[in-house]
Amino acid sequence: MAVPDIRRGTAADDQRRPGERLRAVIRTRVFLLVSLVAVLVAMYLAGLAAGAGGLRLLALTAWGLMLGGVIALGSIGLSLVYGVMKFPNFSHGALVTLGAYVSFSVMHLLPPGSTLRPLSFGYEFLVALVVAMPVVGLVALAIDRVVYRRLRRTGAHLVFFAMASLAMAFFLRSLIYLIWGPDFHFYYPGQANPALQLPLGIRIRADQLFILALAFVLVGAVYGLLARTRLGKAMRATADNPDLAQIRGIDTERVIAWTWMLGGGLAAAGGVMYGLSSQLRPEMGFWLLLPMFAASIMGGIGNPQGALLAALIIGIAHQVSTSFLDPTYGPAVAFVLMVLTLLIRPQGLLGRTEG
Amino acid sequence: MSQVLFLKGLMLGIALAFLLPILLPPGPRWRVPGGILLGLAAGLGIAASVPPGYLSYLVGFLTMASLYGLLALGLNTQWGYTGHLNFGVAGFFAVGAFTSALVTIEAPSGLAAQYTQVLFGLEMPFLVGVLAAALVSGVVALIVAVPVLRLRLDFLAIATIGVAEIIRLVFQNERWLANGPQPLRGIPQPGRCLFESRPCEWLPDSLAWVVEPLSTRDYTAFYLMVVAAFLALGYALIERACRSPWGRMLRAVRDEEASAAMNGKNVPFARIQAFVVGAMVMGVAGALYAHYTVAIDYSHFHALFGTFLVWIMLMLGGSGNHRGAILGAILVWGVWAGTAFLANALEPVLAAIHPELPGRAQYVRWLLVSLLLAAVVLFRPQGLLPEEMRVSNYLRGPRGR
Amino acid sequence: MPLLEAEGITAGYGDMEILHDVDLRVEEGEIVSLIGPNGAGKSTLMKTVFGLLRPRAGTILYRGRPIHGRKPHEIVTLGLCYVPQVANVFVTLTVEENLDMGGYLLDERELPRRRERVYDFFPKLRERRRQRAGKMSGGERQMVAMGSALMLEPDLLLLDEPSAGLSPRLVEEIFDNIRRINAAGLAVLMVEQNARKSLEMAHRGYVLANGANRQDGTGQALLADPDVARLYLGG
Repeated sequence: MAVPDIRRGTAADDQRRPGERLRAVIRTRVFLLVSLVAVLVAMYLAGLAAGAGGLRLLALTAWGLMLGGVIALGSIGLSLVYGVMKFPNFSHGALVTLGAYVSFSVMHLLPPGSTLRPLSFGYEFLVALVVAMPVVGLVALAIDRVVYRRLRRTGAHLVFFAMASLAMAFFLRSLIYLIWGPDFHFYYPGQANPALQLPLGIRIRADQLFILALAFVLVGAVYGLLARTRLGKAMRATADNPDLAQIRGIDTERVIAWTWMLGGGLAAAGGVMYGLSSQLRPEMGFWLLLPMFAASIMGGIGNPQGALLAALIIGIAHQVSTSFLDPTYGPAVAFVLMVLTLLIRPQGLLGRTEG
Repeated sequence: MSQVLFLKGLMLGIALAFLLPILLPPGPRWRVPGGILLGLAAGLGIAASVPPGYLSYLVGFLTMASLYGLLALGLNTQWGYTGHLNFGVAGFFAVGAFTSALVTIEAPSGLAAQYTQVLFGLEMPFLVGVLAAALVSGVVALIVAVPVLRLRLDFLAIATIGVAEIIRLVFQNERWLANGPQPLRGIPQPGRCLFESRPCEWLPDSLAWVVEPLSTRDYTAFYLMVVAAFLALGYALIERACRSPWGRMLRAVRDEEASAAMNGKNVPFARIQAFVVGAMVMGVAGALYAHYTVAIDYSHFHALFGTFLVWIMLMLGGSGNHRGAILGAILVWGVWAGTAFLANALEPVLAAIHPELPGRAQYVRWLLVSLLLAAVVLFRPQGLLPEEMRVSNYLRGPRGR
Repeated sequence: MPLLEAEGITAGYGDMEILHDVDLRVEEGEIVSLIGPNGAGKSTLMKTVFGLLRPRAGTILYRGRPIHGRKPHEIVTLGLCYVPQVANVFVTLTVEENLDMGGYLLDERELPRRRERVYDFFPKLRERRRQRAGKMSGGERQMVAMGSALMLEPDLLLLDEPSAGLSPRLVEEIFDNIRRINAAGLAVLMVEQNARKSLEMAHRGYVLANGANRQDGTGQALLADPDVARLYLGG
């Protein structure tokens, strides 16, 4: 008896219902990219309609790239932790804030050096950054050992991890309020920081270029780590299938510990750079949380290059939207792009489908 | 016992008569009548024995606890019964509050219109405001639900945080809607005229002597009665719905979505229904809150108060158990109120550590409450009153056997 | 000294006890087949041996050294490898990366040589080294899973239902591969639904029922046993 094989052959593909065929097209990354670009174009048009000139939109785009750098720095760590731990870490925003404040305190312990022109900061700022990264990494690791590891041992549902991370977000935030108070801080208060004059009337501070460059460097470093090193491969294996990773001889608890160290360190870098680009506030990480989640999801969870690409898109959309929207709606713009991604292709721009 | 004290005791007693039957363990036949009698007696007894300052503190405490009880009830319909991870409770709370405020306030005119802008002020009665709050919250939930409820659990949590944040941003920025960043004042309170020197028009003159000695200071006890009545009504309706075939279907969808679908249940529709019903309850809570505080602005609907506390209440009380949700609300609100005293008591200690710390004592409260949630998640994830696996009203549960 | 010796194993999940006082032995170079009805505890026994489940009672010795209560990532260093029934490849990784993960504990410089040996054993995998495992068919995945387990050149391979869900032609291929692996000197402990085939190939077999030993003996003896034939081999 001949059994028709529905899985083989291209003829079978054509027998799918039109709805299924349409869905298959919609779920491709090309379609997602086209949709995101369409939203961006619509935003530019709305800006023009609201009376913003071409040069103004160009300047907003440049600033958007700079903002994207800040968002990207915050999202790499979030995306990494999300990929390996499989739960949305709502305390990542608080880790970002903590990084900014730790480096702030460390910087004030150091003798101020001369400013590295044209940048606005001196060597002590860079030292503080390098100190803050492992400190916040250790805080993230400590939280894992006390809270999440216990949940892992009992095989708790994802919801309890998410809930615990929400609790830790408020815990860290209250600590920050207690230690540093509710006031705003600046790394270099009262210091003028002239912008560089670029062609076409674009004015950008050297700091912003530094932030964007740092985002690219760190994304490259994390990419290299994941693709080339033993630890990186172990992280990918653990993200893919933790049980099998153990069977293959990987000490998954050690991999998870390193993931938190890295995630916390990257969060700190994001916070320091966010603080440099604006100011230090206890709520800064919370404000960044939605754009960071949007970038991680849009880029594909666990994918640092994707997070960078998505962060740049979100940054541009955010800035361009200010030409026709109140700037405080920034998180809403990120949110809309995120929901669009989730509806079209939940794996994101560079994420992979399973199977 | 003076007439004022008796009336206040009576109002507190009626409120307790609404609350106690919910909190008493289910089962015995005397639960409802016993709870009512006990509540009335307790109200009068407390009023007679407690100094007035403590009495009004107790009234304020119970009002907020009951409001949170409603929020927890709404969240329980979404999470406990259907498994929607809604981290945006604050959004629906805010929608309900602003809706009821706009429906009931008087549109400002003349000079006042320059300071207060509103989309409309309909001057409708309180109950219409509450109803409108439920409807608008439900509609907003429906709009949100259609794209978002299909998402994976963790994405749903992120998305609902975003929804709540956007709702807050709208109320913060849009001056024309509800006075933007400035507080919206003058939200009317139901039955307030009973406490004013010139009593209500609808009150027969023959009864005027009853309320004559009451002053506006005593109004809070009356409003507590209103809130407690709404909580009792909400509890009764939702408990009944959840024990009906509808509730069983929700639980089936939560636990075994595939087999629920195979048994012919419309799974997406069931999920949306539960989300909308929960949001409507939250909207009612928002309306009651608006009429309680009289002036509201966007900052009241911060994630800490609007979402985080509600989740702690539900987790502590026991998700999937409406009685637990309300018990959790009262306990956690008690902890929250208690930490205020603790923070005060800690001030000298904090001052000894650093001179600036006493000014930040309020953050100690946040710290303690966040640790409470972490402790519940780690050590008692099922909550104080775990879900009862009751199949039907007409069958005895495992405990009844 | 037997290669693997488990005595009096009692294990389970939560409140549920699945294995009661089970014994098992594998000698060097043997194929041992575990058969029994669904829910008999065959997979649970494999997981317990490999440390994915902590036994509540009993001892497990590997070359005379106790391994019960140790973690999988420690046990794998001793010369045992395990191929689970489902989810036994890293779907987001390529074939070559999967093999590398199999050799995670090895020196990086040793990897290419071991990979070549696995490719010699499964030439199909060499052709598809750059393909992601998630895009492969069930039979190919099984090959990747076995190949990854062979990277450490173990002395004992634990296979949990290697032929589950495969077409008859592929089942033949898998069984061929198991024979070839065994011929290279590895002992194999396998759980199989395909009881008759696996007993034909096995040196010895164990029949498990309701979480306890029911019968054991050489493969031929079990095949010839009328009770085993009636109850577990389908008449």
